[in-house]
Amino acid sequence: MPESLIAITDALPYLIEGAGVTLIVVAGAMVLGLAFGVPLAIGQVYGHPALRRTIGVIVWFFRGIPLLVLLFLFYFGLCTALDINLSAFTVAIIVLGLISSAYQSQIFRGAILALPEGQFKAARALGMSDLKAIAFIILPQALRLSVPGWSNEYSIILKDSAVAYALGVAEIMARAHFVATRTYQQLPLYLTAGVIFLVLTYLGTKGLRILEEKVRIPGYSSQGV
Amino acid sequence: MTTPILRIENLSKRYGTKDVLKGASLTVNKGDLKILIGPSGAGKSTLLQCINFLVKPDEGRVWLEDAEVHYTHKGDLCAYRQKVGMIFQDFNLFDHLNALENVRIGLVRVKGIGKREAGERAVRELERVGLRDHLQKYPAELSGGQKQRVSIARALAMDPKVMLLDEPTSALDPELIGEVHSVIRDLGANGMTMIMATHQIGFASSLASEIVFMEDGRIIEKGTPEKIFCHAENTRTREFCSKITELYGETR
Repeated sequence: MPESLIAITDALPYLIEGAGVTLIVVAGAMVLGLAFGVPLAIGQVYGHPALRRTIGVIVWFFRGIPLLVLLFLFYFGLCTALDINLSAFTVAIIVLGLISSAYQSQIFRGAILALPEGQFKAARALGMSDLKAIAFIILPQALRLSVPGWSNEYSIILKDSAVAYALGVAEIMARAHFVATRTYQQLPLYLTAGVIFLVLTYLGTKGLRILEEKVRIPGYSSQGV
Repeated sequence: MTTPILRIENLSKRYGTKDVLKGASLTVNKGDLKILIGPSGAGKSTLLQCINFLVKPDEGRVWLEDAEVHYTHKGDLCAYRQKVGMIFQDFNLFDHLNALENVRIGLVRVKGIGKREAGERAVRELERVGLRDHLQKYPAELSGGQKQRVSIARALAMDPKVMLLDEPTSALDPELIGEVHSVIRDLGANGMTMIMATHQIGFASSLASEIVFMEDGRIIEKGTPEKIFCHAENTRTREFCSKITELYGETR
C-alpha cells in the first residue's frame, strides 16, 4: 500500500472524531442562531423604529467583521479582559452562533415579508393579539419558507467552523493539520479533510431537503412549476 | 325591533394627503343587512376596515351595543374584534392550516376553548357552509368558493354580533359566486347582522335592508333597494346604478 493511503487510513478515525466536533460546533451555532435570529427578525419587522435601528446595528456588526477577527476578539480579547474562563470550543460555538443569528435573522425577515399581508390582518380580525398572530400564524409559515435559506446557512457555517482551528479547537482541520505536519503527507491528509467536509455538506443539505418536504404545506409544490 | 347593535360616527381616514374616508356615519340595527355600493376607490373597503380598526381611523368613534370601543387599548380592541366577524375579498385563510384548523384556531388561541370542543364546533360550522367533506383540505387544495366558505365558517365560529364582508365574491369565478351567496343568504335569514360591500347588484337588491351608496370617501345616499335603484335622489347614484346594472344584470 502506498504511503499516502496508509497515512489516510491511519488518520481517518482521528479525523472522523474531529468531524464529530465540527458537527457539534455547527449544530450549536445553528441552534443559537435560530434562537437569536427569530426574535431579531421579528423585532426588525414589527418593532419600534429605535429597536429596528438597534437590530440593524447588531446585524451589521456580526456580518461586517471577519470570523477570524471575531474569534480572536472574543477568545483572546474579551475572555481575557473580563477574566472569563471559556474553552475555545465554547467560544467557537458562541461566535459562530452570533454571526449565524445575524444571517438567519435576515433569512427569517425575508420570509416574514414574503407572507401576504392578509395573513396578519385575518389573525387580528379574529381577535388575536399581535404576539399570538406572530406565534401561531406568521412564524409557522415563515419558518417553513426559511428552510431553503437554512440549507445555505448550514453549508456556510460548516465551512466557517474550520476557522475555529485557529483557536485550537480539535475539529477536522486542526486534526488534519496536526497529522500532516508530523507525517509530511500534506496532500492526502488535506484532501481527506476536504472530502469529509464535502460529505458533511451533502448529508446536511440532503437532510434539510427532507425536512423541507416534510413540513411542506399540502397543495404547495417545492419543485416549482 | 330597532336596537342599534353597531354605531359609527364620523369615521375618517387619510393616507398622506389623500382623504380616503371623509366622515362616514352609520347605524346598524340587529338583523340589518347593509350593502355598501360605489365605484372602486369610493372608500367602501377602508370604511369596513376602519370599523374593526384593521385600518386605524384618524377620526371617529364606534359603539358596539352601546359600549364605545376604545381601540387604543389593546385588550379592548381584541375583545371587540372577536365580536366582529370579517370576510375578506381574497379570503385570507391561514395557508399552513387545513379547513378544520382554520376554523378552530380562533376558538383555541383566542377564546381558550379546549382543542376537542373547539374541533367539534369547527366541524359544525363547516357543515353549516356545506364543507363537511373538506375538513382536512388545505387552502391551496380548495376552490375559491370553498375558501370563502371556510372563511365564513371561521368568522361564525367566534359567535360574532355583526359581520363585515368586503366584496366576498369579487375574487371568484362567476360559477362559484352562487355557493357563497347562498351561505350569506342563509346567514341573513337566520338574523345575522351584516355590512357588505359588493358589486353584485342583483344579490344586493334582493337581500339588503338598506343600500348605502359611497363615492369619494363619503356616504352619498342611503335607502331601501327600491329607492336607490329605482328612484335615487342623487344623480351620481343614478348614474352608478344604471352603469352597474348594465354590467351585472338586472336589479331584480
